[in-house]
Amino acid sequence: MSEATTKEFSVIGKSVPKIDARDKVTGRAKYTGDLKVTGMLIGKILRSPHAHARILSIDTSKAEQLPGVEAVITAKDVPATFYGISPARYDETILAIEKVLQVGDKVAAVAAVDEETAVKALGLIDVEYEVLPAVLDPLRAMDEDQPQIHPQYERNISVEIHQDFGDVEMAFQQSHLVRTDRFQGNRATHVPMEPHAAISKWENGKLTIWSSTQSPHYFQYHIARVFGLKMGDVRVIKPTVGGGFGGKLEPSAAEYVSAALAMKTGRPVKIVFDRKEVFFHNRGRHAQHIELTTGVTKEGKILGVHGKYIIDGGSYTSLGIASAYYAGAMLPLIYEFDHFKFDCFRVHTNLPSCAAQRGHGAPQPRFAFESQLDMIAKELGMDPIEIRKVNARRPNTMTLNDLKVNSCEFMACLEKAREISGWVGKKGKLPPGQGIGIGCGGFITGAGYPIYRTRLPHAAAIVKVSEQGDIATLYIGAVDIGQGSDTILAQMAAEAIGINYEDMRIVSADTETTPHDFGAYASRQTLMSGHAVKQAGEEVRRQIIELAAELLEASVADLDIDRRVIFVKGSPEKMLPFETVANEFFIRKGPLMGKGSYTPPKLGGKFKGAAVGTSPAYSFAAQISQVEVDEETGQVMVTNVWDVHDCGTVINPNLLHAQVEGALFMGMGEAMYEQVVFDDKGRPLNANLGEYRVPTALDVPQVISELVDSYEPAGPWGVKEVGEGATLPTMGSYANAIYDAIGVRLYDLPLTPEKVWRAIHERKKPS
Amino acid sequence: MIIPEFEYVSPQSVQEACALLVQYGDSARVLAGGSDLLVKMKDGLMKPAYLVSLKNLDSLKAIRYETGTGVIIGARATHNEVMNNRLLQEKYRSVCEAAHSMAADQIRNIGTVGGNLVNAVPSADLPPILIALDARARIVGSSGERTIALEDFFLGPGKTVLEKGEILAAIIIPDQPTTGSNYIKFGLRRAGALAVAGVASSVTVSDGTCRDVRVVLGAVAPTPMRARQAENVLRGKKISRELIDETGRIAAAESKPISDIRGSIEYRRNLVNVLTRRSLKAAIEKGHI
Amino acid sequence: MGTAIKKGKLHVVTLTVNGEEHAVLVKANTTLLDLLREEFDYTGTKKGCELGDCGACTVLMDDRPVNSCLVLAVEADGHSFTTIEGVEQGGKLDRLQEEFINQAAVQCGYCSPGMILSGKALLMRNPHPTEREVREAIGGNLCRCTGYVRIVKAILAAAEANS
Repeated sequence: MSEATTKEFSVIGKSVPKIDARDKVTGRAKYTGDLKVTGMLIGKILRSPHAHARILSIDTSKAEQLPGVEAVITAKDVPATFYGISPARYDETILAIEKVLQVGDKVAAVAAVDEETAVKALGLIDVEYEVLPAVLDPLRAMDEDQPQIHPQYERNISVEIHQDFGDVEMAFQQSHLVRTDRFQGNRATHVPMEPHAAISKWENGKLTIWSSTQSPHYFQYHIARVFGLKMGDVRVIKPTVGGGFGGKLEPSAAEYVSAALAMKTGRPVKIVFDRKEVFFHNRGRHAQHIELTTGVTKEGKILGVHGKYIIDGGSYTSLGIASAYYAGAMLPLIYEFDHFKFDCFRVHTNLPSCAAQRGHGAPQPRFAFESQLDMIAKELGMDPIEIRKVNARRPNTMTLNDLKVNSCEFMACLEKAREISGWVGKKGKLPPGQGIGIGCGGFITGAGYPIYRTRLPHAAAIVKVSEQGDIATLYIGAVDIGQGSDTILAQMAAEAIGINYEDMRIVSADTETTPHDFGAYASRQTLMSGHAVKQAGEEVRRQIIELAAELLEASVADLDIDRRVIFVKGSPEKMLPFETVANEFFIRKGPLMGKGSYTPPKLGGKFKGAAVGTSPAYSFAAQISQVEVDEETGQVMVTNVWDVHDCGTVINPNLLHAQVEGALFMGMGEAMYEQVVFDDKGRPLNANLGEYRVPTALDVPQVISELVDSYEPAGPWGVKEVGEGATLPTMGSYANAIYDAIGVRLYDLPLTPEKVWRAIHERKKPS
Repeated sequence: MIIPEFEYVSPQSVQEACALLVQYGDSARVLAGGSDLLVKMKDGLMKPAYLVSLKNLDSLKAIRYETGTGVIIGARATHNEVMNNRLLQEKYRSVCEAAHSMAADQIRNIGTVGGNLVNAVPSADLPPILIALDARARIVGSSGERTIALEDFFLGPGKTVLEKGEILAAIIIPDQPTTGSNYIKFGLRRAGALAVAGVASSVTVSDGTCRDVRVVLGAVAPTPMRARQAENVLRGKKISRELIDETGRIAAAESKPISDIRGSIEYRRNLVNVLTRRSLKAAIEKGHI
Repeated sequence: MGTAIKKGKLHVVTLTVNGEEHAVLVKANTTLLDLLREEFDYTGTKKGCELGDCGACTVLMDDRPVNSCLVLAVEADGHSFTTIEGVEQGGKLDRLQEEFINQAAVQCGYCSPGMILSGKALLMRNPHPTEREVREAIGGNLCRCTGYVRIVKAILAAAEANS
């Protein structure tokens, strides 16, 4: 059926150990905060205690006099250039210039000989504020009586989107059933275990930054721009990174402020955020307020969908424009329908900025959609899986918003999920208080367009074989933040060249030594960086075979390489070891290298915002959850989750399933536990890991992750997405399982025990 | 994060510790495990000039039985030492389970019984079960020693009856006629979560009749509180499901919860109702397990 | 067994880390975490939250896991500690470390040192734990990447190898 099932691979498709695992289990792996650079100072940032305030004066004189303090800076000491990561919406500065826009906004900074001195110095800076009324409720942010946060965004509207495909009103008129429901999402946040961290060194007019980053390229681009340097004079190096999940895609104050302090002092400066600062910086999930209307035929066929959103963007734009577009763009992906209207306002509030988190803008709309689809099925008397099958996307189709889908085994995912979960024996048949529910999802395999306009390829790779021919090194800009890209790209390189995984070395994510790559976001690297690696590896393979043909006096077409042996097909006794040929190559011609790059084809339609959601390939997933509800307390225990993913060819099964498990774990936290909450002054009440409750090992269900056979023609060897797709179905599947268990429907995330209890309580009240 | 500077002293005897506390007055805090105190100091909520460490006072660490007195738990015993103590496991497993319900392994190896009580956090897990078991607090000061009912120890959030120069030395669980006890905590996560509500109970049951009962509520009042009206519903009566349901309702009514990020007043009252019933049933049916 | 001796604002602390005895001068407000990372360069002990909520800084104190962010260095006096750097013996990985690799229990790796030490402490006191006991033992170690699935498997696999 597919190349994946007919061709035997030597290196890919195997659960080789992670290339960095040994360093990580022994404590040798060095994260940014672990690094010590000679002469290094520690930087600390003074942050605003107010959600919205004018800075009247800052007196740094006492702080400057503290022994051990090397520099104290305010906005007047640093470039006033506005930055951001959404083009045309640059609205943030290194340090607040006139106003602070959130609690935790950046006001001043200190570099000192150690952390304690730096912290003491912060306490000696006197800031006089004029406290302004703050915008704290996104639903009121556009009201006339609300203060305007940014001068350029009237009525606090960050972006307003109106997309209209087909004729949704006509579709509703033709529908047998039209439902409108309102859903509310939560402010979840990434919580990478490693906080944001950077060390900046300014030497000979060159800035070097070691950073906990998801994208050295975007960091280099923006940091160079803000400081007026050429990109070649900014080097961004990624040490080991302790997770990102979207929160480390753009430079933070850790980079900008440490760089400014390094320039001022002439000494390297390290800034590591404490956990509260990670919450201040945020860039986590937008809380989305969604009104969703869907019309269906009596057979359950979806005719039209209208989504109306107000989403809370927080203080700065960050990547929020894309988040807002994604909230609509991903809705038509997994089910086929022709009429769709999407209206969305992203508004500013004086709360921490929201941006991309695993699944980007898509998980909360998916929660709404999957919940409503179950309500519709209930009204129609249909099985929830059946209604999904009626609407499931088929391969080689185009969505109404011009997203081109090649491979799509969504139907197979639904079937397999039904089978392995024992759905038929459980749905509607479990004892009271127990239930089962389904939710589905699908996601891009890399964005079709980079975040800023450029014609650069999306990924590039260089492979260099050693002079002795014993090892090969892959130089790649792709960014391993824990997901394992270094490992699977090394596997791909070995496969393409014809050597073993153990022969591979990798140098990655350093803007000076590795070729350009946009980085770890949008589930892009396996496909995009993978293409570049495959091309580079195959270029090495071709050169080796050409020389081997000469040495073996055979024709190029007759030769093959497998695990370091170059042989004549059909006459395996005519062979040469890889190292012999590679060594001979170096002697005759110099370095044996291969290079590759990847640019996706031109994708997408012509309407405003058409670029968002485009991708060379899409993944699909069905997830079924089983729950037990304590009706007296509202406590929900999820006992089992079955995830079936359509992710194309698998490069490393262990790492792939680990991605599914991690992605649905993040969905689970958002579904049931996690929400940043604020007091009436905009101060976060739970900016710590005790009260912002990431689930523990005791809270998680048994997880079964399975795959369906799938091959994606747009991907190298047939690969596509896995890292984010499994976050999308979880919230809906939980809500649907809770409904199945106790007959109450929850519309607000997270689905906390108190909300479940209240819903039960409301139902019991005589109406 | 930085702990603000302070002077560290580690006295060699309880008397010396008390003398230092008298000397330093309000500028000193006792350092037992530190799992609560150091967090507050890092957060800038507390800036003591002196920390008087109990590190060297091994006499405060033991858990033992004294005939005629009962089980004595040294204030420096850690939560894990309580949880794993054989004597407690045999006599009052409910105390071990309350210790087990706290935080996580790492904190339970640091945090102490004394710290848990003296911090007087309304959601603390040990006070309800200890009060349900009629525990006493042995308090040592520079001018001598006194023993009071633990029930009377708490005055409000962060406030206890400890006077200047006094140290909580031990908790005593007296020998008692009770036939069963239990603590149920409701947290929003199975580890590392504070109680939204916690209910402890102890019962003395014979011939199907409740001879005596204590119901103690946590996290639903400024201090751990006895649900005396609820106790009165059950005390001296033949035990029935209806009566236990009634006890739960009354306990909920007399609790004094507040709304915060962990739960609303109404929800906490509901939890008190549910947990009181469940705790009583367990205490009646399972003894001290 | 040294008693902390005050010397100006510094205290002499004698402690054993990974089998090596050290006598160091520390400030009273220095945490064990900072002592390990800054003084001894045992940076495998991670800073995740600094408030005892995440377990990334877990070390073994007399074979019991503690959050090193909540132990004062001065209070470490007289105790013996194991950090992640002390788990590998003579260049040979502990079985638990091997299983973390085999089972793909490591993603970003930031929680791994603490996880392994919590798992190690469990297996020392209970060589054949149930799955529930494993989950209990790592209940204070947050992981954001794995959903704990493979971490639990790895600890159980290492326990299996004990028999």
